[in-house]
This record gives sequence, structure tokens and C-alpha cells, in this order.
Amino acid sequence: MIESIARVPAWPLALPFFVLGIAVFGLEMARHLRVFAAVAPSRPLHALTRRTGALVRYALLQTRLFADPRAGVMHYLIFAGFVILGVGAANAVTYGLVQGVVGAPLDGALWAAVLLLQNVAAVGALAAVAYALVRRLISRPARLAYTTSAVVILLMIGGIVLSELGALTFEAAAYGALPGALITNALAVPLEGIDAAILQGLFALCWWLHLALIVGFLVILPRTKHLHIVTSFFNVFLRKLEPRGQLPMLDVEREDATFGLRTLADLGWKDLLDGFTCTECGRCQEACPAHATGKPLDPRAFIMGIRHLADEAETGLNYIPNGPDVRRLPGMDDGLTPTAVARPLVDGAISYDAVWDCVTCGACVQACPVLIEHVDKIVGIRRNLVLEDSRFPREIAPAFTAMERSGNPWGQPASTRLDWTKGLKFPVPVARDLAAAGTLSDVEVLYWVGCAAAFDDRARRTARAFATCLDAAGVRFAVLGQEESCSGDPARRMGNEYVFQMLATQNVETLRRYGPPTIVTACPHCFNTIANEYPQLGGAFAVVHHSAYLARLIADGRLVPAAAGTDRGEGGGADGRARRRTVTVHDSCYLARYNGVVAEPRAVVGAVAGIELREMDRHGNRTFCCGAGGGRMWMEEARGTRINAERTRQALQTGAQVVAVGCPFCMTMMTDGLAAAQGADGVVALDVAELLAEALVAG
Amino acid sequence: MRIVVLVKPVPDTTGTERLGDDLRLDRASSPPIVNPNDEYAVEQALRLVEAHGGEITLLTMAPAGATETMRKALAMGAHGGVLVSDDALAGACALSTARVLAAALATLEFDLVLCGIASSDGGGGVVASGVATLCGLPYLSYAGSVEVTDDRVRIHRLHATGYMVLEAPLPALVVVTQIAVGEPRYASLKGIMAARSRVIRSLSLADLGLDPAAVGGAAASTRVLGVRPPAVRGATRVVRGSAADAAREIVDFLDERRFI
Repeated sequence: MIESIARVPAWPLALPFFVLGIAVFGLEMARHLRVFAAVAPSRPLHALTRRTGALVRYALLQTRLFADPRAGVMHYLIFAGFVILGVGAANAVTYGLVQGVVGAPLDGALWAAVLLLQNVAAVGALAAVAYALVRRLISRPARLAYTTSAVVILLMIGGIVLSELGALTFEAAAYGALPGALITNALAVPLEGIDAAILQGLFALCWWLHLALIVGFLVILPRTKHLHIVTSFFNVFLRKLEPRGQLPMLDVEREDATFGLRTLADLGWKDLLDGFTCTECGRCQEACPAHATGKPLDPRAFIMGIRHLADEAETGLNYIPNGPDVRRLPGMDDGLTPTAVARPLVDGAISYDAVWDCVTCGACVQACPVLIEHVDKIVGIRRNLVLEDSRFPREIAPAFTAMERSGNPWGQPASTRLDWTKGLKFPVPVARDLAAAGTLSDVEVLYWVGCAAAFDDRARRTARAFATCLDAAGVRFAVLGQEESCSGDPARRMGNEYVFQMLATQNVETLRRYGPPTIVTACPHCFNTIANEYPQLGGAFAVVHHSAYLARLIADGRLVPAAAGTDRGEGGGADGRARRRTVTVHDSCYLARYNGVVAEPRAVVGAVAGIELREMDRHGNRTFCCGAGGGRMWMEEARGTRINAERTRQALQTGAQVVAVGCPFCMTMMTDGLAAAQGADGVVALDVAELLAEALVAG
Repeated sequence: MRIVVLVKPVPDTTGTERLGDDLRLDRASSPPIVNPNDEYAVEQALRLVEAHGGEITLLTMAPAGATETMRKALAMGAHGGVLVSDDALAGACALSTARVLAAALATLEFDLVLCGIASSDGGGGVVASGVATLCGLPYLSYAGSVEVTDDRVRIHRLHATGYMVLEAPLPALVVVTQIAVGEPRYASLKGIMAARSRVIRSLSLADLGLDPAAVGGAAASTRVLGVRPPAVRGATRVVRGSAADAAREIVDFLDERRFI
């Protein structure tokens, strides 16, 4: 018999006591699973290697948590404490089996190491719990929710750690130092001289308290946000592996189907698991531009709303359901009723307004440490509202109709798609003409202009600047002209999958006809949709953003921006020195966050002489949306303050004279934001291609 | 309540429609849409049926391919359609159109006929009154609101300085304006799917017992003699700057031209 166990009074009760806790835990979890059984099965397990990699990265190393370093360290100390103290708990409920095995070789040195590790982990976890309590009760960061349950959980963790430390300390004091347990042995030294019976009693008390707290924890765990210690592993493992910028396909021809997400029952397993994994840490809420500007959307509340619906659905269910034979008897069917999972998501988990507040920027998804996926679900709800109920903000109806009839959200005739080329000093060849002349194969790149650059005055200037750069570099390019239509991005993100597939199918057909070696576009929305979503419709094309293409032209020496000393642009010094300008880069969500294009726009800006780059706090994949994503370009922004005003404020804070953008929607929003902002005199929004083209002209 | 809505396919208003050598619309040049004014009438019909129950039938005179366009209006929620189509009708005038639609209406059972104020291509705005006259129906035009009680219809007839309240016994014909309904509903995908299986009955002139020589293109009371594009308007000048500067600039502009 292991000595440490034999010292504990009533030790044989440890295992049954623990099994009781496990049983309650198991029954609670089984009841949760009955809701899972009633919703849509989803996400089959493919790509196990990648999934395992994700498990290591996000669940074991917890990389996302370290975006907030102090919270990351705190969480990791508690996590490590849990794992390591778990060894001790396993030892206790197996009557010392673990110690027996680990302690056998090397004269018990390994077990001594375990005890040392436990001592250190316990102290670390205790410090972390203390820090967490200070945050919850005193410093109170804005993103945290202040619930009693959070404090209770922290106190329980603290109690588990303290009782463990206490048990080891009193054990050492009463029975002599334990090999390896250096910290508790040292704590035991001052206790020497106290009556052995008292020390033994305190040891027994702490030992049983420790186990009781663990069992209590198991019992309450399934009903608290702390359930993430179980579910986050599954949630990370079942994560979306497709590109984040690819919304799931929807079969728009299935007559009997529910389009999109209407009720709890339409959610998939992963969606429901998101609800059971959320820890209410608030990182998504903190990152959300809609929430930051006072709108009803709160990504955390949405995910918790899903969990509440699931909790409601299982309320009143028996822990141990009747068997199938019994269930067939009258009045004995205690299964989950269809109505229990038929509660609508709109107004059940999220308000109607909040559904439309989302800019689909993905900041919430990026911020979530346990890989909860908010955006796809919000678009899923929009799909249902649009495709089944025609329920959407009325101002987007004209955009839908225009995309459907004219192939662009502006409702402009296709015949004016090339108006932006008027007055250029070089011809802009059209793919159809080149194909007719048999010279299409000479083309290096197909310039996908996009509707904004075709019809919006400001974006037309960007297109002209970019084409000027292409011409200056001697790139043989072509455009589709009248054959181009909206990529479908706005339609898809506003939930109109029908119009998206109509537009995308036609574009895939057109692009296939010309088979361009590479497509370049100055619109991140077209870029994302062509790159990540057209493959769903059988169109695999190589597509690059214009910033990346320009960066490559510069790197290859095909484009040489004017060197310092030759810039004669406005504001240039009389001595001929390059005009010095401070520039901040506003990253587009669909470029930086969704597709990782961060360095390229900076490479282009950096190649222009006399530019000093000043970054905003939220840049790169942490960028803050301009407010136009997710079809918000075509919606009024009546709730809260304006997102573009907030982003403009952030840009002005850098003191930059130029806000460099790489997206026509960002251009509109930042231009409007600067026009409306105080103290923005002389600050302009320019596309990276315009900055570069200026330097070429000046040279 | 049985409502018939007159619906016309027209060339897309944002398109660049062309005329053929015969000075008739080259229908291949621009995809057809439902005449936007008629969509208000469909919307009004849907609201009446939602409130009182009943059925909506679309009535169209157009080339045979018009069923596709009619399905777009069916997708909004109408229940069925009748398409009068006959090669002899190519080039028919407004009067002939009214005669054909009146003959088709005579084969239908209805309590109310709704139509838009004019088509976006022809723009004549006279077919509705012609149909009402030929069918002997009360004609209530420019409705800014439509209300139906038991066996009567009451509208607010808009005019320059306000509105008149008109009332007529059913059956009647009402011309609906945008004011009555605001925006027509956007057809949901469920609606589009449902529209696929709705019945559109096709009728020829023979089915209606009409003589092609009396209502067809050959008998047209009006003829297109020539067409020319509208004169190009002067360039737009956009005034920018602070409110005060912009106001001064606009005042100067108007003053120079003696508008003020």
C-alpha cells in the first residue's frame, strides 16, 4: 500500500466518491448531447493531421490567448496547474496507482519530480487565480462579463490549489518531508512542534477538501462557462479548415430545404459546440467594430444566446431517458420534442438589428482563443431572412435588384464599364477583342476591374492609377469590359446566395473562356471571392491583389519609383528634395485578416521616396473595419456612431498625412470619414496604386 | 377576392435598348423586366389578398417568351397568369392592346383589376383607361391608397394639390401609384421556386375570337415614323467646398443665367 494514501482516513471511499462526481458529470453531458443529436450533423472528420496540428497550437500552446500577454500567462498558469494537479488527483482516486507506477523506477526520483512540479504548478496557479480575481473584482477590463459564476469558479480553483498545498504541507509536518516537494516541505518547517494529531487531522481535512472540491467542480462544470476545459479541445479539432473567407455553399435548388439558419435545429454540431465552448472572455466583443460604435451587435452575446437556446431546449429532460420500447408507450416519450429545438435564432439568440449590423470583418473570429466561428452563422441567418422571408433593411433591395438585372450593385449599364479608361494615354485592351485578334495568349495578366472602379468616380481614379503603373511597367494586360459583372461578394454576404451563385456562375464561365494565367484586382472583396469562393463553383483561378502585383513589379525592377531628390510633386522642397509625407496604412479586412496580405501594400508604400510609415494600433490581421464590409456599403448606418468615423479617428491619431488604402470600399469610407472629421484638414485617403503612380509621374 | 393585375414586360430600364430596322424594339438587345410601375400594382394586389384572402392572376399581352418575365412577378406571390400572345400582335397600338386585354378579361372572373400608371417603354398611359372603357368598368386612376370593403373600392386619387376620395362598386379597375405601396417586395427564393410550378395559360387571338386584321400590327392606329436619340445635355458641374462657399457659388451660377 502506498504510504501517503494509507495515511488518509476513510481512503477507500475516494474512488466511489469520485465516480459519483463523474457519473453526474456524464449524465449532464449526455443531456447536452441530446440537443446535438437533434440538430444538423456537420463537419465530418477529414484532414486529421491539420486538425491535430490545430489542437496543439490552439488548445495546448494556446497561442491566441497570448494576444493579451498578461491574460495569456495567467490562463496558462491555471491550465498547467490543472493538468499537473490532475496527476495528484488521479493518484488519489486510484489509491496511489500512479505513484506506485511512477515511483517504482530510479528509487522514486520520478515521483519526487512530480511532487516538485506539483508544488511549483500550485504556486503558479494560485498567483494566477489571485491576479484573475483582482481583474474580476478590482481592475475590471471592459471586455469581461462580471458574473457570480465566474467568481465562484475562480474561488473553487483557488480552493483546489490551496487544499492541495495544505495537504502536502501538513503531511510533511506530520509525517516528515516528502521527497521532491520542496515548497511544501519548507512551509512545513515552522509547523514542527505542533501536536502530531492536529497536523494529521489538518492533513486529512485538506486531502478530503481537495477531493470534494474536485468532485464539486465536476458536478457544476457542465452548467458553467468553465465547460470549455472539456469542449474547447473538440471545438478546436472540429474547426473550419476551408479558407476563412469562404462561406459554406448552399444548394439553392432544393425545394424542400430550409435555406440558411432559422432555428436552433438548423445549426450544425460545430455551431452548437461554439455555444458550449464560449467562456465569455469578451475578446470578440472587444474586437467588434459594430460593438465599438454602440450598435446592438455583440458577438459574445450571440454565441451565448445559442447556448441559452440549447439549455432551454434540454430543460426538464430526464437525466436517464426512457428506453426506446418504453418511449413508445403512451405518455412515456421523454425525448427532445421538435418544438424544443424550433426556437428561432432571430430574437432568440440575436436581435434582427444585430444580424444586419455585422460587417463580416472577421475580427471576432480572429480574436477567439477557442476558434468560435461567428460570421458564417450570421450570414447563415441573413440567408434565411433573405431567401425565405425577404426580410432585410429596405435600402438593400435596390442593390439586390441592380446586381440581378445589371450585374452590379450600382445599377449602371454594362455599356459604361469602360468609361474609366477615357482619356488615358494608352489603350486598355479588352479580352474579347484580343481573343478575336488571336493575341489573347500574349496577355500576362487579366485586370479584374470590379464594379466600384467601373462606376464610382473616386475608385475610377484608382483604376486609372493602377493601369498607368501596369503600362509604365510594360505589362501586357487586358480587361473584361462589358463581360465583367459583380463578383457576387456583396450579395453573398448580405445573405442573397441565389444572386451570388447567379453572378459567380456567369463570371466563372467568362473567366474560363479566356483562361487568364493570372488575375489581378484592386478590390479585396473581388479578390477574396474569386480566390476562395469561385473554386466552390468549379473555377480555380490564380488571383493576386494589385498591391501584391505592384510589389512584385517593383521587386523585379520593372517599376522604378522616383528616387528621393527627383520628386517634383506638390509640396516638394524648392531644392528638389523628395516631399516627405507620413502615411498610415489602413488594412482591408478581406485582404489582411482573411487573406494575410499585409506586407505587400507596405512594400509598395515603402518603395515611394520620402514616405514615413506610421502604423495604427489596429493594423495587419488585427485591422479595424472601415464599416463597408458584409454589404454594409449599401446599408444605412443609423444605429450607434459611424464605424468609419471611429476608424478615421484611429488614423488621425497617428498624425499621418495620408491614409493609404487598397480597397474601393475602404476608400469611400475613409474619404467620407476624413471629410467629416475635425482636424483632418489636408489629410487624404489614397490608394497604394495612386501613391506609386504619383511617384512614377514625378520621375 | 379575385384580382387581375395587368403586367407588361419592358426592356431593362438600365439597359441600352435598341430599335430594329422596323423601328420596333430589338428584344434581343436588352433582357426584359417587369414594368416597374406594374410592380406597384402587384404589390397592392398582394396586400389586398393578404388582408382579405383571394387570388391574383397576372394578365399580359406580349411575345411568347414573356412567361419568364411573368414568373418574376409570380415570384412576388401572384397565383397564376394569362399570356395573350400572337405573332399578328407585333406592332399593335395602345388601342389594340386595350381591345385584346379587354377580350381576355372577359374570359376571367374577377372583382378588381389593378394596373400601373404607364409602361416604362411606351409610356402612353392610356391602355388602362381603354380597358376600363371597353369592359364597362368604373375607372379609378392615380390611386395613392386603395381600400376594399365588401363590394366597394375606395381610393385616394392624387392630384397636384392633394387628393380626392373616389369610391366605386366592384368590379372596378384601379390604376395604382407608387405612393400607395412604397416599394414592391423583393421576391424570396422560396417565392421564385413556388413560381416555377404556377400555371401561365397562353391564349391566341383565335382563342379570344379576335380578328388579327382588326387588332394586330396591321390595324395599328399609331405608327412610329422616325426616332432619334435625345440631345446630349450639358456637362454637370459639381460644387464642392464649405457650405457658405458652395452656396455663394451656386447663387452666382444662377445669377449669371438670370434664374434669380
